[in-house]
Amino acid sequence: MKTSQIILALFIALLTQTTFIGVVTQRMPVDLVLIVVVFAALTNGPSVGLWTGTFSGMLQDILSGGVIGVSGLAKTITGVLVGFIGSQFILGTIGLRLIILVLASIVHALCYLGVYALIEPGMPIVTARMVGLQAILNAVVGVAALAAIRVGPGVRERFRRKRRSLSVTPLDHEWVN
Amino acid sequence: MDRRQRFGYLVLAVVIGHVIVISAQINAQPGATILESVAFGVFAEVQQLLATTRDGVTGVWSGYISLRGLREQNEGLNSEIAGLRIELQEQRAIAEQARSLERLLGLHETLDLLTQGARIIASDATPYFSTITIDRGSLHGVQPDLAVIVPAGVVGRVVGVPGERAAKVQLLVDRNAAAGALIERTRASGVVIGTDDDRVMRMDYVSNLEDVRVGDRIVTSGTDGIYPKGFLVGDVTAVVEGVGLYRVIDVDPVVDFTKLEEVLVVIDPHALITDAGQR
Repeated sequence: MKTSQIILALFIALLTQTTFIGVVTQRMPVDLVLIVVVFAALTNGPSVGLWTGTFSGMLQDILSGGVIGVSGLAKTITGVLVGFIGSQFILGTIGLRLIILVLASIVHALCYLGVYALIEPGMPIVTARMVGLQAILNAVVGVAALAAIRVGPGVRERFRRKRRSLSVTPLDHEWVN
Repeated sequence: MDRRQRFGYLVLAVVIGHVIVISAQINAQPGATILESVAFGVFAEVQQLLATTRDGVTGVWSGYISLRGLREQNEGLNSEIAGLRIELQEQRAIAEQARSLERLLGLHETLDLLTQGARIIASDATPYFSTITIDRGSLHGVQPDLAVIVPAGVVGRVVGVPGERAAKVQLLVDRNAAAGALIERTRASGVVIGTDDDRVMRMDYVSNLEDVRVGDRIVTSGTDGIYPKGFLVGDVTAVVEGVGLYRVIDVDPVVDFTKLEEVLVVIDPHALITDAGQR
């Protein structure tokens, strides 16, 4: 992933999260920004995971009602960890990426809630069920997005080829011949 | 120093940087104000544009293609009902205040709300907090800690530093939110706080000796200096005698926070006129 692609993906994720998902279904626990951070770190390594996590987490903090820096810290740690794992192992299959997304979501939630537990004792109270649900949702949405990105160009090419073949009429053949 | 070691130091520096930013906010309240206000302001403009596009598309679909005439009529009736409900709540608050004050002190109090209509353009960027972004900011007189209401009842309060044309609102169901409240029937006061569940709030600091029943209405008490007195918060859904001094009371919020589209910011919470010399 190129830097410009990562930045664009982050902005789209953040805007979708705030203006569509949150407004349509309040408290939908999917974190689109985290999905982008994980994929950026997996494909580009820990250093990209570091700055992607920091930048996106800070932006998310600014736009949310929480303390600025908490999400930034959680996403930085998650991005670096995922980047290291991605640079050590081959994680090309969908199944492995699904597992990484689940684990990354759990690590992110633990960091996020851990920091809050230190600075605001007892807050926020998030159940293990919510963390689990978020991890599963992140994984499913992330893998679906990845599949769409992979399949997208092929479908477009097939559609273009089909349209081209339909537009070639017998008269055109005669004219060519 | 090899590359790996350098990267290790970089990670450490970034983590320490985050810790410093977090600490700054814990020690001195408004931390990173410039960063927050600039980024929030810029992003709010983009969100506003997207929200307008989204509303435009859905508006065209449902307004012109689907139910054109009915929608217009419905909008008219809805706004009329909204106005009447606001008026009813104001009248209810005025009547209740007048009754209790006449009984106790012989003072007159009038509630005069100056409100600013606002559209919701975005929700919270994380799933852990319940905040929304509205399209009215400092240019429209929005300031921190102003109450936000809808005709049905109380929504929340303005938090953070508002941008010029946008502001963040903490919903009453947010786990960090609280409002001074009282039980309408008995006038027993307490504090309503948000929980992890959008559909349940809790009322704390109501003595075990107080008479509280399921179905009792909870209204704002006005003691917090943010929410105007007498506005609906919710209904009691469960009451249990607490282990300590206070009852455990579950409150069902009267506002459906998942269906909010437009809200009113109370610019001037209450103009209190006391006339002690009359009676």
